[in-house]
Amino acid sequence: MQASRARLFKEYKEVQREKTADPDIQLVCDDSNIFKWTALIKGPSETPYEGGVFQLAFSVPEQYPLQPPQVRFLTKIFHPNVHFKTGEICLDILKNAWSPAWTLQSVCRAIIALMAHPEPDSPLNCDSGNLLRSGDVRGYQSMARMYTRLAAMPKKG
Amino acid sequence: MSKRVLCKFFAHGACLKGEHCEFSHDWKAPPNNICTFYQKGVCAYGSRCRYDHVKASRAQPSTPSSSIIENQPLVSESVVLGNTRITSNDVTTAAEFSLSNTPYVLPSIPAWNQESVHHDFLREDDVVQSIITSPSELPICSFAAAGNCPRGEQCPHVHGDLCPSCGRHCLHPFRPEEREEHMMSCENKQKHLEALKRSQEIECSVCLERVLSKPTAAERKFGLLSECDHPFCISCIRNWRSSNPTLGMDVNSTLRACPICRKLSYFVVPSVIWYATSDEKLEIIDTYKAKLKSIDCKHFDFGDGNCPFGTSCFYKHAYRDGRLEEVALRHLGAADGDTIIAKDIRLSDFLANMHLS
Repeated sequence: MQASRARLFKEYKEVQREKTADPDIQLVCDDSNIFKWTALIKGPSETPYEGGVFQLAFSVPEQYPLQPPQVRFLTKIFHPNVHFKTGEICLDILKNAWSPAWTLQSVCRAIIALMAHPEPDSPLNCDSGNLLRSGDVRGYQSMARMYTRLAAMPKKG
Repeated sequence: MSKRVLCKFFAHGACLKGEHCEFSHDWKAPPNNICTFYQKGVCAYGSRCRYDHVKASRAQPSTPSSSIIENQPLVSESVVLGNTRITSNDVTTAAEFSLSNTPYVLPSIPAWNQESVHHDFLREDDVVQSIITSPSELPICSFAAAGNCPRGEQCPHVHGDLCPSCGRHCLHPFRPEEREEHMMSCENKQKHLEALKRSQEIECSVCLERVLSKPTAAERKFGLLSECDHPFCISCIRNWRSSNPTLGMDVNSTLRACPICRKLSYFVVPSVIWYATSDEKLEIIDTYKAKLKSIDCKHFDFGDGNCPFGTSCFYKHAYRDGRLEEVALRHLGAADGDTIIAKDIRLSDFLANMHLS
């Protein structure tokens, strides 16, 4: 408990210090609870998510960093490894390949990498996975782009 | 010089300085059991004191500087007692005083040798000149060794040569063995200090803190992984390695692996300093293993128990009569061509595998 608090506090200071270091990630800690974080990440360029800003919710367990944080998308996203309804993410480093050397910041980076390189063979969103697996890259891209426009971009007018 | 006296902390099993201690860690060395308060005249414990209430001269006949005094003419009892006070204990207190710029005032005048301090300084000159024959018997000036001697050129004692490591004039010009010993221990001390300095900055990748800045002494240790060179606190890496494999984590590829490079290491070695070269790392690991080898394995329990680590155990497997365990490994050829090493075969294992209910 103490260890996780101390470590999160360290990460908080690090985030404050290097706010501008990674313009694609904006990590914010909950005002009253250091175990709850939110992040805004920019969709990687040359992907259907480009131009969108996605919100992530982190829930950090008390055993952190021995156990991974729970992360989910708050913004709707059409991606083979993200559950369409709950925003749950299927990523090995958040499950069995977790290592205490990862930080919340690096988890965000890993999620951005996952957005750019979807893994259709272990899908949480079967529709999206099936599109990619059947080779319909264009279909997947247009669906993903549509949801990015609808959910992850500021409304015009 | 003081190497000959048994370290009090070592005797209680609690010396933190290890091989860098200036006192002897050899059980054969004579213990210094003299009460320092009694030397100054007053000991609050009186007859209940756990230390010896004797005058320093009788208890430490081997101290080199006292050899001068034994030959001194006995004038009166009080004078003799006063002069015998030039034992190592007294010299250190005097040396400390020279540092605080009051070289000639002693902390407290012993009740039983009021006059003697002055006698000391007045007589020593003649004493030294009349008795000392070989230059190696000349006592070294502890004022000079501590930094600066107020008497300078006129000092009757030998002013030691400069030690290149500690920068003090403490090398006796005519005692080669002592010089060697001092240089060796000084160099080791210096090396240890430098390594400590280097290690200060190193951070653990799990708690993200500087390992040597942790709040408790037990935490201020590195955990070296055998197969890679990533630094962690001993407590962090041990916690990670012993944490429960949840979420389908594989023990070998996740928990036993380095959190950074995922290289599999089978053991962790605690160390106060971080190494700079692979040789240093090897030395730390070997010292650690050698230390464990001298401790009896609690699983083996002198042959009564069964150690799950078998031949790979770091601890000592010895029977009560001191005989070491001899292991002959049994290799069994399995049907598929693999070779397996048979552990102790017990009937209970077979029964457990039969799934009788």
